[in-house]
Amino acid sequence: MDLVANNLSYKPDDQYHLKDVSFNFKEGNLYTILGRTLSGKTTLLKTIAGLLTPDSGEIEFDGKNFLKIPVWKRNVAMVYQQFINYPHLNVFENIAFPLKQRKIDQSIINEKVMDALKSVGLLGYENRKIQELSGGQQQRVSLARSLVKNAKILLLDEPLVNLDYKLREQLRDEFKNLFSKGLADETILIYSTTDPRETMELNGEVIVLDEGKVLQVGPAKEIFENPNSLKVAEISNDPPMNIIEAKISDNQIRFEGIDVEAPQHLNKLTEDGLKIGLRSSDIELNENGHEFEVELAEISGSETLLHLKRGDTKIIVSIEEVLNFKIHDKVKINFKIDRAYAFYADGKLASSPFGSLNG
Amino acid sequence: MNFKHKYFFLFPGLFVLIGILIFPIIFVVRLSLSGWNSYNPGLDFIGLDNYIRLFTDDPRFWESFFRLSFLSVTTVVLQYVIGFALAHMVWKDIKFKRFFRVLFLVPMMTTPVIMTVIWRTFFHESLGPVNDILSNFGFSPKWLTDPALAKFTVIIVEVWQWTPFMFLLLLAGLLSLPKEPFLAAAIDGASPVRKFIYVTFPLMAPISIGAIIIRLIEASKIMDTVYVLTSGGPGTSTETSSFYIFIKGLREFQMGYAASMSFTYLIIMIISLTIIAKVLTKLLLKE
Repeated sequence: MDLVANNLSYKPDDQYHLKDVSFNFKEGNLYTILGRTLSGKTTLLKTIAGLLTPDSGEIEFDGKNFLKIPVWKRNVAMVYQQFINYPHLNVFENIAFPLKQRKIDQSIINEKVMDALKSVGLLGYENRKIQELSGGQQQRVSLARSLVKNAKILLLDEPLVNLDYKLREQLRDEFKNLFSKGLADETILIYSTTDPRETMELNGEVIVLDEGKVLQVGPAKEIFENPNSLKVAEISNDPPMNIIEAKISDNQIRFEGIDVEAPQHLNKLTEDGLKIGLRSSDIELNENGHEFEVELAEISGSETLLHLKRGDTKIIVSIEEVLNFKIHDKVKINFKIDRAYAFYADGKLASSPFGSLNG
Repeated sequence: MNFKHKYFFLFPGLFVLIGILIFPIIFVVRLSLSGWNSYNPGLDFIGLDNYIRLFTDDPRFWESFFRLSFLSVTTVVLQYVIGFALAHMVWKDIKFKRFFRVLFLVPMMTTPVIMTVIWRTFFHESLGPVNDILSNFGFSPKWLTDPALAKFTVIIVEVWQWTPFMFLLLLAGLLSLPKEPFLAAAIDGASPVRKFIYVTFPLMAPISIGAIIIRLIEASKIMDTVYVLTSGGPGTSTETSSFYIFIKGLREFQMGYAASMSFTYLIIMIISLTIIAKVLTKLLLKE
């Protein structure tokens, strides 16, 4: 049972929220929609759920025109980034709600709700009021509510974004477990996120969305290794990939008075306006390196993010330890240039360290 | 804040409260223990005689009281149902939403007594436009002079006059509801009807209780409509408690007796409204 969309467009105001989005989702797979805020992720999920009707295009599920089926008959489940539950019901009643909408025996409902409670780790909370739970627990309740109905399509709209860092990691692991536990056999899982790390960890098929358009589709690894454009490289890296305007000639990459020997996959490129892309983790501190000036140093978790500047070139370096720097300090860095990407002036990928794109 | 004379500043408010609430209640209690009437004005003391007369020898008071209960409960239920339906209608995105919202409020902006005079003309047996139309089909009901039908007419006018108030409260309630549970319910497989029963209605319960209680208090005072429309007639078939008390007190000037009725009425209303509020809370909020 495939979920197929053709040229979905949605333009409620003067901007496209979705533009010619097409996809073919197969059951038993996990699809991650990666995009920045306002890229159209939620719009796309709402369109699949039936909360929005696209201006043009079609969605088919199991060969049937999905757009003609009202929301409540679509058999989809959705978890939102805000923890949406029913404030007037307790935990048990919340989770039982989708089952109560069909004619199901109370004993079966009890059993299923208890199963769902167990799988999200909330056993013993069934009589609590929703307002008495923490954010993470509320999100677990809405996850349980979406699991309990065995929907054919499970939509998760940035489910972790409003949780704190610790809980996010914990729930992310639980998600991975849930998704791999047979649940996925006959379900289409669609997970939207802004976080590249989450995308890589979930390791599903990735759809990169920006300004309502699909930029690239492929397995997580493929998106990470061979982003087909500058945009995708920016979206799929956090912190965003460093983009350096450089010239390549005589086997040398030249920028800001620095000459670096071009690696094999870059040395045949001679076009003007090339942009070199290098991940912040592919730059290291080195005594014998090139001198840059510190603009800002931020410590996030166990990482230090250094914002550096030389001439007009600004780059971000992430260092896997906590270091203290002052603004205007001089640091010396080295580029792991064999991991560099090159993009043409129009943003298309010219060359990647992981070999060329398919075709 | 520890200011020596802080209680001094309570006096203006306290003074007004005593003047317009506490004193009248105490005075009514004292009055009810007197035999003040037009032959014998003055605050003499006759003990509980008025109350004994009320509880043993005045079926007309109790009839008017049960009539009042019937009228107020019926009108408030109708107002709630119609008001909720209208509010629900203009809550959704429909065309001319703003126009309808204002339109439904128009009856509330009119003067009840004047509107009742117009309604009386409407329902006039031989001259009113209602019977003018109905007579074409061979009907000419006695809207104001048939005992059963007169009650019905009072209900129509009351519902027309006060549904907008209910509508306003309920619309404000609907507009203040969170949107999220409705999104969730649609996806959870609830059809529009079930969504109303399982989400909208329970979420509206606290507001509904408030609106119903406010209207019940107001409706128990039905007086102007009855006074203008039927003057309690035919016979006493539309006479309500407040109207009966008005007749006894301000037409027959049995001030002492009217005071004892007023006080009894006040006590009954406080007790019954408290019970109703408790029952509604239990029923709608499951608490």
